[in-house]
Parts: sequence; structure tokens; C-alpha cells
Amino acid sequence: MNKPNKPFEKKTNGLKRERASSDALFFGKRSFSGPFSGRELAGYAVDRLLLAVILGSVCLFVLYPLLCIAFRSFNGKDGTFTLANYGETWAQYGTSLWNSIFVGVLSAFFCTIFSVSAALVVSTRRGWMKLLCMGILLVTMVSPPFVASLAYIQLYGRRGWITHGLLGLSWNPYNKWGVILMQSVSFVPMNALFLNGILAKIDGDSIKAARDLGASPASILRDIVLPQMKPGILVCLLLSFIRSLADYGTPVIIGGRFSTIASDIYYQLTGYANLEKASVLNMFLLLPSIGAFFLYRRLLRQSDALVQSSRGKQEQLQLRLGKCGLLGGLIGLASGLFFVMMILQYACIFSTGFIKVSKTGNRFTLQYLRQLLKTDLNTMGRSVLYALIVSLVGTLFAMIFSYYMERRKVPLRQGFDCLVTLPYMLPGTCFGIGYILAFNHPPLKLTGTALIVLANMLFKQLPTCTKICSATLKQVPLAQERAVHDLGGGQMAVLRDVILPGLRPAFLSCFSYNFSSSMTTAGAILFLIDPARKLAVFKLFDAVYTGDYAVASLIATLIILIVLAVEALVYWITGKAAKPRVS
Amino acid sequence: MSKRVLSALLAAAMLLSMAACNKEEKAPETENQTPAENTTTEKPAESEGKEEKPEISGTMKAIATSENYVTLFDKFTAETGVKVELLSMSSGDVLSKLRAEGGTPSADLWFGGGIDAFMSAKEDDLLEPVTFEAASEIDPQFRDPDGCWYSKGLTIVGFLLNDKLMEELNLEQPATWEDLTDPSYQGEIIMSNPAISGTNYAAVNSLLQAKGEEAGWEFFNALNENIAYYAKRGSDPKNKVIADEFAIGITYLDDTITALKEDYDVTIVYPEDGIPWIPDGVACFKNAENVEAAKYFIEWLFSNDENLQLLAEIDQKTSIKLIKPSLEGVELDYSPDILMELDLSKFGSMRESILAQFETLMGDKAVNE
Amino acid sequence: MYLELQHLSKNFEGKTVVKDLSLSLAEGELLCILGSSGCGKTTTLNMIGGFLRPSSGKILLDGQDITAMPPERRPVTTVFQSYGLFPHMTVLQNVMYGLKFQKMKRTQAREKAMHYLELVNLSEYANAGIYEISGGQQQRVALARALVVEPRLCLLDEPFCNLDAALRVKMREGLKEIQRKLNMTMVFVTHDQEEALNLADKIAIMEQGVLTQYDSPMNIYRRPANDFVREFLNLDELVWSDEGALLKVIKK
Repeated sequence: MNKPNKPFEKKTNGLKRERASSDALFFGKRSFSGPFSGRELAGYAVDRLLLAVILGSVCLFVLYPLLCIAFRSFNGKDGTFTLANYGETWAQYGTSLWNSIFVGVLSAFFCTIFSVSAALVVSTRRGWMKLLCMGILLVTMVSPPFVASLAYIQLYGRRGWITHGLLGLSWNPYNKWGVILMQSVSFVPMNALFLNGILAKIDGDSIKAARDLGASPASILRDIVLPQMKPGILVCLLLSFIRSLADYGTPVIIGGRFSTIASDIYYQLTGYANLEKASVLNMFLLLPSIGAFFLYRRLLRQSDALVQSSRGKQEQLQLRLGKCGLLGGLIGLASGLFFVMMILQYACIFSTGFIKVSKTGNRFTLQYLRQLLKTDLNTMGRSVLYALIVSLVGTLFAMIFSYYMERRKVPLRQGFDCLVTLPYMLPGTCFGIGYILAFNHPPLKLTGTALIVLANMLFKQLPTCTKICSATLKQVPLAQERAVHDLGGGQMAVLRDVILPGLRPAFLSCFSYNFSSSMTTAGAILFLIDPARKLAVFKLFDAVYTGDYAVASLIATLIILIVLAVEALVYWITGKAAKPRVS
Repeated sequence: MSKRVLSALLAAAMLLSMAACNKEEKAPETENQTPAENTTTEKPAESEGKEEKPEISGTMKAIATSENYVTLFDKFTAETGVKVELLSMSSGDVLSKLRAEGGTPSADLWFGGGIDAFMSAKEDDLLEPVTFEAASEIDPQFRDPDGCWYSKGLTIVGFLLNDKLMEELNLEQPATWEDLTDPSYQGEIIMSNPAISGTNYAAVNSLLQAKGEEAGWEFFNALNENIAYYAKRGSDPKNKVIADEFAIGITYLDDTITALKEDYDVTIVYPEDGIPWIPDGVACFKNAENVEAAKYFIEWLFSNDENLQLLAEIDQKTSIKLIKPSLEGVELDYSPDILMELDLSKFGSMRESILAQFETLMGDKAVNE
Repeated sequence: MYLELQHLSKNFEGKTVVKDLSLSLAEGELLCILGSSGCGKTTTLNMIGGFLRPSSGKILLDGQDITAMPPERRPVTTVFQSYGLFPHMTVLQNVMYGLKFQKMKRTQAREKAMHYLELVNLSEYANAGIYEISGGQQQRVALARALVVEPRLCLLDEPFCNLDAALRVKMREGLKEIQRKLNMTMVFVTHDQEEALNLADKIAIMEQGVLTQYDSPMNIYRRPANDFVREFLNLDELVWSDEGALLKVIKK
């Protein structure tokens, strides 16, 4: 099993050499053709300028705020440099770090089991079951903050509809197992869709060949399907681990006395207003996250190599899970559990807004809906506007960024790639505080503007988008780029005529991700929001905070519906735009 | 063809975003224009007849504990022409945000929240002193001597009981704080983390003051055994009790809690051995963009009884009568004698040490779990 | 006869893709199913391989009715057009994979797999990854993998269509040699008339789901059933030796 790894590395090295020589070729050629024309010079200038803007904004909006946090962590009482914060915080929150890692590992483990199972069910089923499961994944991709945890309490709490109402249990749901369970299921939709993409690329003929050679469905699953998913599975494990580390909402609402670093950060900020300790805790969190990131990059490369090597036709995965023995049974069970939990959870969220609790029993009501409609819905409009801006600009930014990272020899390429990923690993509240620290003084006074909110959303979501774009860009043949150069086009022509059109498939994914994240992100912008520019998610936060669960559920429902509608619209538009090319 | 659609889309996106940014960024600038220019144009007709008033204009950004105050701010807008943008945030978040902003606050007025946070903010020099004539009518213990904060009411603390659960678990009604340490209540009491909830901080601070440090901490250690967990939001104890999750919640008491009786089987207990309380603050941020409007708002609020009546109505509590005894039209619905004797100045000074000690208390159990 | 197809038909959503196809093949013979794309040749192959159930008709192999037998139990293997190699395994692991289900010991299986890799001239690549070797080599791995389990019948679905012309000629000579050596019965699907005429003992020409002619290459050359066959095979361009072997194709 070790052997195959080596060739991958060889191959990527080979690719790098190719890339290098292509640049050399290009520059060599140009010098032959004599002095530059004005147009060439302009193209060159635009290219450099674009690169400078891209890298500059990454430095400004990612590196600088993070440095501000790092700086703050060494800040003594009277503004002097000190290491005392570290010692103090470690003594106080050392156990939280282990808690974080414990929860992270278990959440990642269970989440991956759920994700693999769900992905296998979606890719092997046909007909209405497939549609239903896919639909559930798409809806649950949109996950407004907090309400999922509230639904958990409502369903599985001490007086939960399921645990108490149905099973007659009265148990304490406020502990680490609740956190692990909720994190495990809430990270699944994205992972499952990612794995589904990998499964779709498995060569259908290799499955047929295995059957042909006498392999039972169980053997096919074990020997052919799962091994080909392996790099993807590991990516899931790592991403879930990182997300679990950064997630503060779940432990805050259902952790009870159990706390993780992320929830301690939230505490330090909202309870003690101790920025120094919060900064130190962030530094603690960065260590395991960065470690996980470098592992992730290695694994992703392997995954790409596996996928790229398969040249077969990509078709529906022909495998009957029901006949896969014990393993198939477990997969069926896990996915069944997941889908049922999701249906219950979202049904609970949707219905809470329409149920009036009273002494005489619960009844249907439109009272809360009317109450919500009476308050200003401008926030919803503003949310949509901001989300659209972030989605479009952020997607374009990610496309161009990934082009420079993947195809051009940019100095410190690895460093920038890692840098851009950092916001993904920190709790949103921390990235928000970083922004306030960084941008509260002239000449960089951005606090209180829309720009700071937009930039924060954009750069918080950039890591995922650049990953999507980079993966897609790998499918765009280098030859197309060379052809443009060959025919006399410059870098701008490459970007316009090869890279951006080639990234079209990534557009929809990035846009959807950006849009739904922008509509639902709360942590990052909690501290950045300006009274004049409230967002819908803030109203949601407020409703949760004051205990207006019905209103919170309604806002969450509204957000989910809007996100789905906008995504469907964009899907339709891009589908229309893509059609002429196909026919 | 398709290529063109894509690039057009992207171009549109760029333009849109730039336009939006410009618009949003410019907005504050126009608001900052000299007051003289704006008051005339923005002042609604109805307020023209009003007498002396400082020249205020533009938009006032307020951070409040709830969006319910919008009617009060609407009244302010109607009378002064100053638009109000309201954002609700807990006082801990406000303090963090203020500290991170390093003296360049993105709001003007701070409306509501435990007085301890206001005291901390004053210590960090983040509040702007405000003085006005009617301030003399406010009970001195409910205003900062320098005018950095004023109190807009009192939050009082008591118990909310879930009758169904009490019966089911065969529990007796607790009448005093001391009762809560009875082992029969184990795992059935919920309170909020005092670091986050001003109400619960008030309970801790008040009881420590009343019982003395040593006896006080002994009490909280015993209480800790019965507390299921410390919720991270101030409204949680109330929410969890009405959701039948816990039998007893330590919560703020006001008319909204009383109103719960209509829909839920709950009992409100005013502890016999004293009711902790905490003033609710209002203040103006130092270096705020529209500091004049915020200052005037505080003056406007306390100078006119009508405004305070409206406030009492929104807050669903009558404690404003204690703040401004001369106030007409609001009658206190409980006797002030039931409130504990407190030295308010200790709310700020003891905060850090109390919370630090409380954290080890809360943490102990986490390890045992 | 060794392989018998009796009145095979296949409908997809009301469309008849293969219509009443019958033919028989002796052991050790190589049958080419020839036709343009969409004529139903791959569907026929999939029915023989067990990946599709015929709508009606029967398939007999060595006297046994295998029509309803699933591919994993059918003693038939396939070399797929895109090879269907397992990308996460080495060349040797790919070839050994099928032996696992014959309950063969690992050492023995390894030996046997190496023997078949020698047969296709790939023993030195045994430990290479699939993506390290060329397309022609991948094709031979797929062939070795299909043959190592000693199937009673081996099916090949346009196995050479991804290869360049020169390599194709070399590969088909190699295939013929191995087929003779093992006396393996094979069914080969192609749209390349030259390939068919060169390799096949029997040729089945299909047109729109119907078997137009089924005979030896020489007989088809001598007596094409209709104009379609004549034109499809470009019979006028072929030069034959007296023994019935194709000598060359004259491009006009």
C-alpha cells in the first residue's frame, strides 16, 4: 500500500517542472520578438497589479488582523510585552485544550462515518430515495447558527419530544456527548457532498471488473470503493476536526459545564471582556489547526492523484448496499440515523415558529409570523445584498487567487496558501475581534463601515472557495494556457479566455457556499456589526439570546428559504448560460 | 456566448460591490456634516415649535439590551429629528467590543445592561460624562458622581419555579436563598454564569455582601452542588424552566416573568432573606461620532416624566420610581424594603476577584463530570 | 456448441436495442462482433458478461444456462474499453485480485499472477502503480487480470480503441498469440473492420440491433449478405491470401 504513494510525488514533481519550463518558454519567446508593444506592456502591468492587489489584500485582511491578535496575546496590563498571559491562561484552561482535542477527534470520527455512509447512499441509490437524500443534504447545508442546538434540546433534552415524550427518558443532555453528537451531524452535509463528488469520479468499469472477477458487493465496497475514497475520507476527518476546534456555538448552548477552547474564547470575550486571554486561547487553538492543515494538504494531493488517474466513464455507482453484509448494514444504519435526525431537526426548527405553547396544550399559531413581519425586514434585504456581494466578489477573488497559486510562480506560494486558510481554523468571534483590533485607527479606520463586514465574511469564507477553485483548475489542461501564449495572448488573455471559463464549474459551488455562509455566519461579524447595518442573522442571534425561540425559528426558516431560492436561481442562470456550449 | 454571460456577471458583481461600499462608507460622512446644515432640513415639522435644544442631528447609533426600546427611540426621533439605529447586544459583548476598538467606538449610546459593566468601562475611560439639570432629581446612588453613567431602572433577582416538575419530583417550594442548598434540589436548579449575566452577577455580589465573604462562599459552594450547569445566556434560566427542563431557575423578575403565568404553570418566589438587585445602566461612549445626540438623549429621557413612563412600560417594571422618586405616573409595585442592603460601589471593585473565584467553582464540577 | 446465444432480445424503455439474436461459437474460437456505434454490440456483450439481463432469450455456456447468473458467479471475464483497473493498487495487486475469490493462497496467487504478467510481457512492472505505466501496458494488465482467473469465456470491449494505430497492430498480434496459447474462447467487440478481419475466427455483423451476417471472415468476403456488409467492410479494398488470411488493405 505504501508503494503507490511514491509515484504521486514523482508525478507532481514532474508537473512542477513542466510548469517551470512553460514559464521559461514564454519569457524566452517574448524576448525574441523584440521590444514589447504598448498593449503587451499594459497587459503585463495589469497582471502585476492584479497580483499585487490580491496578495496585498490577503496580507491586509488576513495576516494583519491575526498579527494583531498575536500581539495582543503578549500584552501586559500596562501595555508592556509579557509572557505572563500564556502561563496564566495555560494554568486556567489547559484542560480545555484537551477537551477541545477530545471532542475534535471524536466528532471528526463520527462525522466521517456519517458522511461516508450518507455519500454512499446518495451515490448508490436511484429514484426518489436519491432525490430525497440529496435534497436533505442540500437543505441542511444551510445551517443557521444556534437553532440546530436548540432543536437538539427540544428533541433530545430532559423534556425532549423524543427522549422524554416518546421514550419516557429524563436524562441530562448538557454534556460533551451532546456536543460531539451535534457537531458530528452538523458537519455531515458538506462532507457528504464532497465525498459524493469523489464517488462520482470512480471508474464505473473498475466496479464492473471486480464483479466480473467474482467479487461480492461486500468485497467491492471494501476492496475497491472505500480504498479509492481513502484520501477523501482523511480530508473529511481533518476538516471536521478543524471545524470542531473552531466551533463555539455548540458547546456554549449544549455543553453544560463542559467547555472547549472555542467556548472559553467566547466566554473571555462576552463574560470577562479579557482580550488578552482570548488572544492567548486563539494561539493555543492555532497549533493543532496548523498541524492538521499541513496533513490536509498532503492528503488532498494524494486524493487528486487517485481521481485524475481514473480515465473511465463516470457513471452512477453500481453497488447494492443492502447486499454488502455487515459493513453495508452499518452504513445503512448510520445513514438512516443521520437522515432521520436531520429530518427531525429541521422539522423541529420549521414547526417551532408556528407552535404556541400554553397550559391547555400546544396549538398552531401565526402570531409569531405576524410579529416577525411587523418588525423591520430591512435586515433581511441587507443580508441578501451583502451575501450577494460577498458571493460574487469572493468567488472572483478565489478564482484569481487560485490561478496565481496554481499556475504562476508566485513567491512564497506555500506561505500564502496556508495564510489564506487560517481564518477557517479560528472561531469566528476571534477573527472578528482581530478585525476590530486591526482596523480601528486611521488610516485604516474601517470599523463601523460596511466594508469591514464584507471583508470579514469574504476572507472567512475564502479558504473553502480557493480549495474548490484549485481543485477545478487542476482539470483545466495546461495546453490551453500554452495555446493562448502561442497565439500571442498575454497573461490577461489567459485569465479571461482560459482560466475563468475553465473555472465555471467552481463558480456555482463557490457561490452557493459563499451565499449560504454569508447569510448564516454570526460569530465573525458579531463584533463588527454597526447599529445602522444590522443583518438578519443578528436578529436571529438576538431572538435566541432573549429566548424568543419561535421568532428565532422563523428567521432561521426564512434564511433557509431565501438561500435555497437564490441558489436555485443561480443554478438556473448558470445552467442557461452553460447550455449553448453543450449543444 | 456563455463566456460573455459569465464575464458580464462578474463585472456586474464588481460594480455592485463598489457601489455598495461607496454608498455605505459615505453615509457616515454626510451624517457628520456641520449640525447647522442638517437640523433645518431634517427636522420634522411637528417639532419646530420646541424650545431650546442643543444643535443635534444625523443618526444616533444605540446599543441596547433589547429591540423593544424602538418605541422609545421613535419618540426621540419624532421630537428631535435624530434618527436612531438600534442594535441589541449583551453588556459583556459591548465591553469587549469597546476595549478592542481602543477608544473609537462604532456606536454613540449604551442603553441597558448590568451596572458592573458600566463601572468597568468607566474605569477604562471609555465613557463620556454627561451632566444636565434634571440629574439632581435622580437618587445619587443611581448615578455616577462624574455623570459617566445613569441608572434607568433596577433588575431584581428571584426564583422561577416549574409547578409541574416541583410536584413530579416531590419538592418543597424554596422560600429563601438558604433553602436552595437543600440536597433534594440536586441537579434541578439552573442559573446563568455570573460573568455573562448581570442578573446573576448581582445575585452573587449581593449575597456575598449580605452574608460576608466567608459565609457567602460557603453558601455558593453548597449551591453549586445543586446547580445543573451555569447557562451562557441571561435568559436561559427562565427559558429552561418554562420548557420543563429544570424545576428552579434563578432569574430576573419583572412583569414579563409575571405574564408567563398565563401560559405556563409557574410560580414566582421573592426570596424572604433578601432580594438582590442591580441597576440597569445608560451611558454615552467617549469619542463617539454623534456624542452630542447621545448626551441629549440621556437628558431628554430623564427630564420628561412621559419618557420615563414609556420606558417603565417597555421594561415592564416600575423600579424607575426608585431612581427618580419625583416621577409621576409610575408606582412601585413592591415595597423597597424587600431589597437587600447593598454597597453599589463594590459591584465594580469586586467584580474581577468574584468572577475568578466563581470560575474555579464552576470548573470543579466540570472535572468531576 | 460451446457458447450459444438463443433468440436474445433487449429492450430499453420500449426501444429494442438487440432483436432476436442467435449464434453459436466453438471452444477456442474468437468471435468478433462488428458494427457501427449504437448497433447493439456492446449491449450484447454486456448480456453475455451478465451486466444486463436479456429481455428474452437464453445464453448457454458449455451446455449450462447462464442467463440469470450474476457476473460475479459467471465464469466469464471482461476486458473493458477503459480497462477498469483499480487505481489504488499496483499492477500485481490488480492481476491477483480475482484469485482472492477462488480461495487461492497468497503465495500461490502471486506466482500465478506473475506467470500471467510474463505472458503479457509485463513482469518487470509488477510493482508499479497503474498511473505509472502507459496505455498499452494498462491494456495488457487488464487482459492479464481477466485471464488469470481462467475464465471459460473472455470478453473484450473495444480493447484497443484508446491506442494508436501502430500499437494496435502489435497488441492484436499479441492477443491472438495468447488466445491460441491458452485456447481461450473470446468474444471481441469492435467497430474496426480491419481488426475484426485480422483477429476473428467468426465475425458477427450487427446493424440496428439485428444480426446481419454471421460467418468466417473469408466466407463473408466471398458472400457478403447485402450491400451494407460490403460497404461497411470495404470489401473491395481487401487483398487475401489463398489460405484465407487478410494480406493488406488497399486505400483507394
